[in-house]
Amino acid sequence: MDNDEQFFGRWVPSARPPLKPLVNREAIAQSRGAARCTRCGNWLTVTDQLPNGARYCRQCLQLGRLTTHHKLYTIPEPNQFPRMTESPLTWSGQLKPQQVVAATAVRKLAAAKKNQLLWAVTGAGKTEILYPALAWALQQGWRVAWASPRVDVCLELAPRLARAFAGVSQAVLHGKQEQPYTYRQLTICTTHQLLRFQAAFDWLIVDEVDAFPLTTSPMLQRAVKQAQKPSGSHIFLTATPGPHLQKLVAQRKIAVTYVPLRYHGYLLPQMMVHLSWQWRQHLLKGRLPGHLVRQLRGYQQIGQRFLLFVPHVADLAPIAAALAQAGVVGGVTVHAADPERTAKVQAMRDERCQFLVTTTILERGVTFPNVAVVILGGDEAVFSTAALVQIAGRAGRHAAHPRGEVTCYCQSQSRTIQQARAMIGHLNRQGRQQGGQ
Amino acid sequence: MPACVWCNRDIPQVVTLDQILSWGPFPVQEVCQACRERLTPITGSCCSRCGRQQRAATICHDCERWRDAVINRALFQYDAGFKAYMQQYKFQGDYALRVVVQATLARALQRATYDVLVPIPVDVATWQSRGFNQVTGWLTGQPFFQALEVVADHKERPQSAKTRAERLVTPQPFSLAPNACKVLQHQRVLLLDDVYTTGRTIRHAIDQINLSGAKAVTSLTLAR
Ligand SMILES: [Zn+2]
Ligand SMILES: [Zn+2]
Ligand SMILES: [Zn+2]
Repeated sequence: MDNDEQFFGRWVPSARPPLKPLVNREAIAQSRGAARCTRCGNWLTVTDQLPNGARYCRQCLQLGRLTTHHKLYTIPEPNQFPRMTESPLTWSGQLKPQQVVAATAVRKLAAAKKNQLLWAVTGAGKTEILYPALAWALQQGWRVAWASPRVDVCLELAPRLARAFAGVSQAVLHGKQEQPYTYRQLTICTTHQLLRFQAAFDWLIVDEVDAFPLTTSPMLQRAVKQAQKPSGSHIFLTATPGPHLQKLVAQRKIAVTYVPLRYHGYLLPQMMVHLSWQWRQHLLKGRLPGHLVRQLRGYQQIGQRFLLFVPHVADLAPIAAALAQAGVVGGVTVHAADPERTAKVQAMRDERCQFLVTTTILERGVTFPNVAVVILGGDEAVFSTAALVQIAGRAGRHAAHPRGEVTCYCQSQSRTIQQARAMIGHLNRQGRQQGGQ
Repeated sequence: MPACVWCNRDIPQVVTLDQILSWGPFPVQEVCQACRERLTPITGSCCSRCGRQQRAATICHDCERWRDAVINRALFQYDAGFKAYMQQYKFQGDYALRVVVQATLARALQRATYDVLVPIPVDVATWQSRGFNQVTGWLTGQPFFQALEVVADHKERPQSAKTRAERLVTPQPFSLAPNACKVLQHQRVLLLDDVYTTGRTIRHAIDQINLSGAKAVTSLTLAR
């Protein structure tokens, strides 16, 4: 019966029992007045009650409402996939030597069914690093999910994986998906969608673990734990692991593979810190820190282009005015909602523009060759440790200009700055061992 | 800090000096400012028949085509914000979201002139699967009378899945409750529904109420 496939390794809710007897459980478990959603783990409050007497879970409502009238049905994952005689990898690209080292390590840990972390700096090519391990897993007949907290990452990843594994059937699941669910060997989905699964995946790839609060969201922890087979394992991908993951690494509770070098093989520039007492008060009078002005003038004299990161959109105008006052000219300001954002970023790419003054929003996915990076107010709350490391990675992103200066101006050395420096130092120690310079 | 029932973000509770001096319990904000602003109230001029927002209080194009004198008033514009609200409240069945519009509706009912409030019913199957009637869910203790019933075999496809042309030829879905005539005789009836789109549903309801001997029928919808 084809219809059985939708139950494979999943909890499917129904208010009416299916024709065949299946493993089932109550959607909302109740005991002595307390009620808990068995899909997302949320404890229901007394007000989550409907006039028809049912109680419902509000936390996982987006996946379809579960009430005390529902049961969840499942069929244990049978791995009903065609057997492959050769590697399903149809990618024609080549891994760089340091990527090969990481890819081999990842594949060995996956084969040994060890939970692992791939700690790869931005620009290391982490997706491709996973290809050999993924090819191996699929060839074993494993069911694999690649989960990301962000829909846009899923949408971007799906066609890439479809090309790299042309013969492997894939399903893409997210909140905006209109297609009905299909049973496939490779599932690309948002982390929330994992809540629908039950011991389904032999290998579970969780992308951008730093971008969702795995440590603070018991629901997502539960999703990962529940979707993975007890005999299976997972790999977390990140550029900037949070304190919880770093602790697991330090305690050797999770195996880790570092990709500390960017694809051109160079180390991350370490962030230099300059204390600038009360720079905001001075800015109100139209002045910037003297050291900052001298540094930027120096950059302009030698034709070094730069990015100046500032905390808020509201800071852009006064800082641009103060720069002009100080004779630092030839750049523009840009922020996420700027209608001319694309044009301005393109001008910087084309080297028609000497510098950008920008907010933290540009941190991901924007690359310019040979730029210095300056952060003003790096101790402010908008700059998380992860954001600071990502911003530092913007400097000198080009094989011809691998190094770049990163300077951070702040009122005080915040924890986030110290942690970012420690993380860059840690990655660079790993990088030196791998021959980085 | 209480969280907003719609977006789940914390709501900073503002307590005024008057509230402190009044010694009464502080009113707890259940919906945050940003979420309240997702809904657009109908203010100023509206169509004198269907109540849709427009510059002048003239009769709109849709109402001219009806060639009748139905009087409807609506509280919010049926825009992307209200659709998102209905998507979560009615279609995903998030009953807790009923509080988002309750205060606005309570004020409107206080101002309205009527003797009996009659909410549009949902059919039995919908009530069982959704678990509530989205219209009565908005009421906060105002007395109402369920004068209408849904004809048993009426529901074949949801209204929202139909085109305008299809909806306009929908057969009468309502019948009068057994005791409706006794209760509504010589009364001014106010019908209450969620959204006025084509006006077909409300006219079916009005036709039935008119058979009950009511003195007058007007209607109020949450959105137009
Ligand atoms: Zn739930
Ligand atoms: Zn809100
Ligand atoms: Zn009108």
